[in-house]
Amino acid sequence: MDIKDFIAPFAVWKRAFEKPFTVNKPIDERPGAPRYRGFHINDSARCVGCGTCEAICMNKAIDLVPVDALKPDGGDSGLRPRVDYGRCCWCALCVDICPSGSLGMSNEYLWVDRDPEVFRYTPGVEAKPWDGAELGYRRADGYRLLEEERVDMPELDHHEAVKSFLELVRGYSRQQAEKEADRCVSCGVCVASCPAHMDIPGYIRAVREGDLEQGLRLLYETNPFPEACGRICTHLCEAACSIGSGRSADGTPTDPVAIRWLKRYIADQVELADYGKALPRAEAPTGRKVAIIGAGPGGLAAAYYLALLGHGVTVFEKDEAAGGMLRYGIPEYRLPYPALDKDIAWITSLGVRIRYGVAMGKDLTLVSLYGDYDAVFLSTGLTVAYKLDVPGDKHPRVLDGVAILAAATRGEPLGLGRKVAVVGGGNVAMDAARTALRSGAEVDIVYRRREVDMPADPEEIMEAKAEGAILIPQAIPLEVKPAEGPDAANKATFVWNLAEMVQKEPGKRPVPEPIPGAVVEKTYDSIIAAIGQGPDLSYVAEGDGIEIRRYKPVIGPDGRTSRATVFAGGDLTNDRKDAISAIADGHRAALAMDRLFAGKEA
Amino acid sequence: MNQTDFAGALELALAREEAAVAFYEELLGMASFAAQKATLKEFRLMEEGHVAMVQSMQTKGRVNLSPDAAVDLGLARRLAAEEKPAAGMSYQQILSAAIKKEERSGDLYRDLAAAAVDGEIHLVFERLAAEESRHKHYFEELYENEVSRDN
Ligand SMILES: Cc1cc2nc3c(=O)[nH]c(=O)nc-3n(C[C@H](O)[C@H](O)[C@H](O)COP(=O)(O)OP(=O)(O)OC[C@H]3O[C@@H](n4cnc5c(N)ncnc54)[C@H](O)[C@@H]3O)c2cc1C
Ligand code: SF4
Ligand code: SF4
Repeated sequence: MDIKDFIAPFAVWKRAFEKPFTVNKPIDERPGAPRYRGFHINDSARCVGCGTCEAICMNKAIDLVPVDALKPDGGDSGLRPRVDYGRCCWCALCVDICPSGSLGMSNEYLWVDRDPEVFRYTPGVEAKPWDGAELGYRRADGYRLLEEERVDMPELDHHEAVKSFLELVRGYSRQQAEKEADRCVSCGVCVASCPAHMDIPGYIRAVREGDLEQGLRLLYETNPFPEACGRICTHLCEAACSIGSGRSADGTPTDPVAIRWLKRYIADQVELADYGKALPRAEAPTGRKVAIIGAGPGGLAAAYYLALLGHGVTVFEKDEAAGGMLRYGIPEYRLPYPALDKDIAWITSLGVRIRYGVAMGKDLTLVSLYGDYDAVFLSTGLTVAYKLDVPGDKHPRVLDGVAILAAATRGEPLGLGRKVAVVGGGNVAMDAARTALRSGAEVDIVYRRREVDMPADPEEIMEAKAEGAILIPQAIPLEVKPAEGPDAANKATFVWNLAEMVQKEPGKRPVPEPIPGAVVEKTYDSIIAAIGQGPDLSYVAEGDGIEIRRYKPVIGPDGRTSRATVFAGGDLTNDRKDAISAIADGHRAALAMDRLFAGKEA
Repeated sequence: MNQTDFAGALELALAREEAAVAFYEELLGMASFAAQKATLKEFRLMEEGHVAMVQSMQTKGRVNLSPDAAVDLGLARRLAAEEKPAAGMSYQQILSAAIKKEERSGDLYRDLAAAAVDGEIHLVFERLAAEESRHKHYFEELYENEVSRDN
């Protein structure tokens, strides 16, 4: 051993008095390059918490974490990505994949701290000096890891469509469906927005993997109307889909995954005869009996889940066929009867008995069911069409939209004539207008507010216009008068006042205010009122023990009325008034009844 | 009834509110099912509240009503409804009758306010008119949200 080996350790002490080689902030004067991949920035308001960044990160440097100030709502999980710089390799894949385009990287790369814990933070939530940095890495325009455009759905040309009641939307081929399914990143943001909480990423994965029986199984877990909903669902899920949260290069929103069409694809591809291979059969009979009033989607969804659990179900339906407004409201060019029949056939195959032509209140009383059944579910929908409520609205050429649509379903002659006004802006109005167009009429849609206020699905409005309907917005109905001139007896004159929209109360929607003197008169062969519908609750007597408030049975969170064994749901009670909400209500009530029978609740 | 003094003005208001109670009472007598009855009872109860409110003003000798009129949603002017009670009235008919009813009371109070020479009486009628406008607004909103949902 050399003497130096002993001395050397002591020799380093002299360095203690020298200028250090390391500095606190060594290269302040050397900023990162303009597209340097530095610390992350996230526009938290645009981020939807989908977790795609977390899923793609190979180093597991990103975790989605709850953020106090954010509440989950349709289209936002309420989570935000937290980045761990002990793991991040600055590859920027997370930025490239982010569907909302909210994630970026600043060109800041210096951050000195003694506490190693701080190098893990939630960009956009925990303030950092580089927040809002202009420079740094962003996904280049036009560069996309995800396919932004949805696979086009083959549809009938509008000029052709209006000549018949043929279904407009043709459905995806296998290749198209799998390509569209590939766009889904399985983030699950959509699930919370679906009233039935369907396992959307699960069934889309099944499409991708070609396992349609698994897809069908997942659909039926919460929705026994996949053929119908695959066509007419209000698809709130698509508004929530993270893939639709971004902006294309031209600034337009990116297309959400075509969830509804993929659902339809699964149901269309599996033959009814093969449903039994995929779907569960009813459990052994429990001996419990449930009466369901109304064979619409709400009533039949309850029937399906009750039957699956082994309970005996009888549905009382006043009409001659099942489906409720799906059959007697929605026209067949949107929902062909064979598709609806397929859904219903599977439900009845479980032993659900439907007694047609039995009107509750007329042929049977509610109280008479109490003794024979362990529970009752009321799902009678909204069958009363409200009137125009203007002078002259009893004129024989003023017709009701729901009745016209029911007549079309029954194949009865509509006798609408050549010039038709449809009053209203909801689904019934659009369907009545398009039905009138298909019967050869020229159609005006007269609506009291603006087009953006119309409660109908925007697609339906667009299609009604494309098929030739003329929209007259901001038109307040004033009066219906007898027509004058030739064939006056078969016509009526509709009078309306053009309106301007006035913001009268802060936070509320603007009110149509008549413009003085701007009164318009036009003579029509038919005026179809479609301003709204209400329930016919005349079958519920005061002694039935069901509390009703403002023409709605009062229900608890599980759909139970004030009478412990009577439940209610569907359009009758919920505010959304669409098929999927009615289905979710039916499912919820079925589970609540099952708990009731099991003695798990009073 | 002398509407030119304070007591007379309130007496008139009381009579109108009592008439409203009687209107719903009469309808209730014709109602046949639970939904009708529940709605009519609720509206009757509201009118009974108004009767009590006027009576309390009579006792206290002052009108403690807000002068702020509610926004007019314009339904009363165009609805075809009549105030005549009829058996089997639908929810729409009950609501539009209620709107018309409140509108008519408001109109009457406004006319009386305009005719009043006494400043205090003018103020009483103005406030009563404002109160009626709030009742009308309540029913108009119900009509907009629950009946005319699609128009
Ligand atoms: C024209 C139109 C278009 C629509 N478009 C869409 C759409 O595109 N997407 C969407 O999601 N939703 C749409 N809807 C709404 C959708 O149809 C309803 O939300 C859904 O059908 C409600 O289901 P439900 O079971 O509550 O009631 P309903 O479907 O109304 O079914 C109620 C059933 O009860 C029966 N019934 C009523 N009273 C009695 C009685 N006293 N005794 C025995 N039986 C009785 C009725 O005959 C009916 O069969 C539309 C509705 C209409 C009218
Ligand atoms: S929106 Fe972007 S940043 Fe937000 S969680 Fe999804 S991928 Fe991550
Ligand atoms: S459909 Fe859209 S929101 Fe739903 S899991 Fe797929 S990508 Fe996510």
